[in-house]
Amino acid sequence: MNKYALLLTLLFGATALLAQPKTGSMLIKNGTVLTITKGTLENTDVLVEKGKITRVGKSIPAPAGVEIVDATGMYVMPGIIDAHSHIALDAINEATSPVTAEVWVGDALDPFDVSIYRALAGGCTSSHAMHGSANAIGGECETIKHRWGTKNPEDLRMANAPRTIKFALGENPMRVHGEGSGIIPASRMGVEFVIRKAFTEGKNYMEAWNKYNEEKKTNPNAVPPQYDRRLQTMADILKGDIIIHCHSYRADEIYMLMNVCRDFGVTKLCFQHVNEGFKVAPELADFGAGASVFADWWGYKFEVYYSTAYNAAILMRNGVVTSINSDSGDYIRHLYHQAGKTQRYGGLTDDEALALITINPAIQLGIDQQVGSIEVGKDADIVIFKNHPLSVYGVPQKTIVDGVVYFDINEDPDDIRIDINPEESFPAFFLEEQHGHSHDRCMQGAWEFLFERYQNFFEQQKN
Amino acid sequence: MMTAGWLHAQESLVSPVTRTLALTNANIVQKPGQVIEKGTIVIKDGLILAVGKEVKIPVGARVIAADSMYVYAGFIDGLSHTGVPRPDNTQAQRGQAPRPQQAQQVNRSNPTNEQSGITPEQQVKDQLKADDKSIEEMRKAGFTAAHVVPRGNMLPGTGAVVLLKGSSADAMVMRNETALFSQLAGAGRVYPSTVIAVMSKWRELYKRAEQAKAHEAMYAKNPTGMARPNYDRSLQAFYPVIDKKMPVFFAASDLKSIHRALTLQDELKFPMVLTNVKQGWEVANVLKSKNIPVLVALDLPKEKKQPEKKEGDKDAAKKEKSITEQEMEILEKRSAEELQRYLAQSGVFEKAGIEFAFSAMTVKSTDVQSNLRKMIANGLSENTALAALTTTPAKMLGVANVMGTVEKGKLANLVITDKPYFAEKSNVRYVMIEGQLFEYEVVTRKAGDPNANAKPAGIWSYTINVPGQTTEGRLEIVDSNGSLSGTISNSQTNQETPISNAEIKGNALTFSANINMGGQSLVLDYELLIDGNNMEGTVSVGQFGTFRVEGSRNPGKN
Repeated sequence: MNKYALLLTLLFGATALLAQPKTGSMLIKNGTVLTITKGTLENTDVLVEKGKITRVGKSIPAPAGVEIVDATGMYVMPGIIDAHSHIALDAINEATSPVTAEVWVGDALDPFDVSIYRALAGGCTSSHAMHGSANAIGGECETIKHRWGTKNPEDLRMANAPRTIKFALGENPMRVHGEGSGIIPASRMGVEFVIRKAFTEGKNYMEAWNKYNEEKKTNPNAVPPQYDRRLQTMADILKGDIIIHCHSYRADEIYMLMNVCRDFGVTKLCFQHVNEGFKVAPELADFGAGASVFADWWGYKFEVYYSTAYNAAILMRNGVVTSINSDSGDYIRHLYHQAGKTQRYGGLTDDEALALITINPAIQLGIDQQVGSIEVGKDADIVIFKNHPLSVYGVPQKTIVDGVVYFDINEDPDDIRIDINPEESFPAFFLEEQHGHSHDRCMQGAWEFLFERYQNFFEQQKN
Repeated sequence: MMTAGWLHAQESLVSPVTRTLALTNANIVQKPGQVIEKGTIVIKDGLILAVGKEVKIPVGARVIAADSMYVYAGFIDGLSHTGVPRPDNTQAQRGQAPRPQQAQQVNRSNPTNEQSGITPEQQVKDQLKADDKSIEEMRKAGFTAAHVVPRGNMLPGTGAVVLLKGSSADAMVMRNETALFSQLAGAGRVYPSTVIAVMSKWRELYKRAEQAKAHEAMYAKNPTGMARPNYDRSLQAFYPVIDKKMPVFFAASDLKSIHRALTLQDELKFPMVLTNVKQGWEVANVLKSKNIPVLVALDLPKEKKQPEKKEGDKDAAKKEKSITEQEMEILEKRSAEELQRYLAQSGVFEKAGIEFAFSAMTVKSTDVQSNLRKMIANGLSENTALAALTTTPAKMLGVANVMGTVEKGKLANLVITDKPYFAEKSNVRYVMIEGQLFEYEVVTRKAGDPNANAKPAGIWSYTINVPGQTTEGRLEIVDSNGSLSGTISNSQTNQETPISNAEIKGNALTFSANINMGGQSLVLDYELLIDGNNMEGTVSVGQFGTFRVEGSRNPGKN
């Protein structure tokens, strides 16, 4: 709904609110181009014009006025994409209800979050800014481009990215609502019930509107059903307009949600975390569900003990579209290291390992026609590495979004903050980080609900 | 209460022996840019009867010689909670639902509208308290009328234009149901808790109101055979907004909130006034192109006090600065640059041609004048500043025919200062509201002698002299090798509290003390000049004002 409204205003060209994001042109000369989808090209140039890749080849002449970036001895790869993060958001969890399909984190974008710049420093050009995992059905998420420096939240949005929504299984929604508020879901069965109920209500809502639209043709006294954003969003999922991204760990639950989706005819599904995905890899492949995993992060709560660093490789070799995500303002800076771990644990090829952080997350987010590989016609979201990105010596030098350099390891000033608090000279984010880990915000905004009942208990909880 | 006593003493209400008054020999600023020098204003029955150089003073009029003073139209606050007391319940104040022991009754996911902060049907007049101290405070700062709105969360209710005097809420109200007030404030522990849910709920309520309104209209035409509309007072409160007969006054101070409010307005197309704006310079072109009126917040970020250079700093300057010191310098420079942008906001709006008035929602009333001076020093013209205090809010609030200028026929709402209002050391001496005169004393301070070598140590008795009420106390100061400490007591609370930040420079003694008044902690800042065994000076009590202090050293001690 929101994005459609925005799209409409864009079409009718009315508003100055929607600033057109900057685009740039450049010729990246003589690099080793890791296209991801079309192999590795030595001594190759990439021409970028007005934010798009227009040519990839040898000895491309520079059009007049186009800046040349010498990438001799460097590696040129598509910008890294993180399918699960919570950066650049002022609100993550609306933890008051087990179903909050109507909320949208795109309403709370924070262009001043320094994590955006840190992600760029790790070659990451796009991320999936997600609702948290406090609710069985959380809110809609926002796919953003890391256009650091803007003060307009609208500039972060990635145009034409499909709508996505966060679901969550297991301990988090059980704890927040079952233990925290004494309501359903208090068990994994309850989570399934909550999701089935929400789908059913969405279906009824959709049918009620269809019935009204029919009746209206003959009966001028027909009264429409009351507008309900929660049910409308559920209906939009059923119609296939929204991709589900579901926080999950255990194989039985992953299998459960696939069954629920089958029952309601929902096909657009990607699992997040999926630590036990390796147990149901063929079933995931059969369903066509994606899996976005950690390389080797687990053990932070009971349901995340049964895990393996081979997970990504097993899923991939079973034909599941797999990505590696950060879910963290820290890991987002070195997703290329995370991808590299799959070569030690699972023996993935360079292209397979890099696909985990480029084209595969793009497919999961429905943006693979625009980004995720170096191909003519795609957005010029590119990172230039010194040394191979899968080497421990790999370091991003320049990170480019829409042909504009947003990170340059040599040129950027030390103080890259955008929004300065005039009353303090010491940056607040620095002080925050003195007081505890900044990463892992999946449950942000949900803790206070738990602290009411369990004062001391959850210090170690993650995700 | 000590503070209340001080306030009453400062503001003396002149009871109207006659309802006709004449202010003579004054510099009358009728409206921005239009001044009558040495003019006279005649007021009768609360209205301005005549203004000009050659005005006949009616027989029986009380004449106030306003010689060399400056008269302006009474200031109008574009939006605040003046006269609306904070709820006693501290939980309600924070907009939060009861804590878990009471939580059984609260359904977090489906709370009542009241718990959600959705009460657009409430009217501020039902919350106004005519004797709330904020009314006196604002009046003392020169405000004669205010657009006030209820306190609360996302949709607290509708506002009213009120006069800042009167014995009851009804007596104060000029114009009721002026605007729907909204802010992006969550309801704490119940839905909508976060800004994402507030935004969603806003859209849903608005669309539901549109639906309900259409349904009611259909039903009114021909109800037979049609489902009856539900009566929903919260949705009905949106109807005048949907009809574009009532604006939404949307409080959005920081840039991100401004963008969010603009997003809602852009989607739903309701008439909007963006209020309490603090960081709006970035969107000046958007506000201009969308023709959205603005209320600029009267509060500004605090300027960082530069640490005073101590002796020996000259040598320190020669030394190379450490990396940390260099870093700190760079960071402080950026903060200072950013501060300039905040101070320059109104000037930017003026240049962009954006219509704006001021909002006193979050300002300390005693800061208003100095903040306006800062804005003027950073690019705002005095005429536009005055317009934003008088004519512009009058127009925005639909009361331009009765207030905003010093003209015949308008309400006798005036503010009278001893120097031009925007000049340094200018004081508000009188405020008149609908002919009722409020007079203010000026507390003056003597200059200290930096070359004196006064010794503050010892036990002092002091009085805080306010006509009608005197506070006494004991001040003990210990000087240990130039480092001052001590305690202070007072006869109002009978507390003895330690003093802090005590310093002597020449004969000027400064220190602070905290006192506890009915659970509220107040900081008292003392500035005293010592002359032998006597001292005199002032004490500032936050927003309550500055009061005169005298004292003497107890003999025989020390």
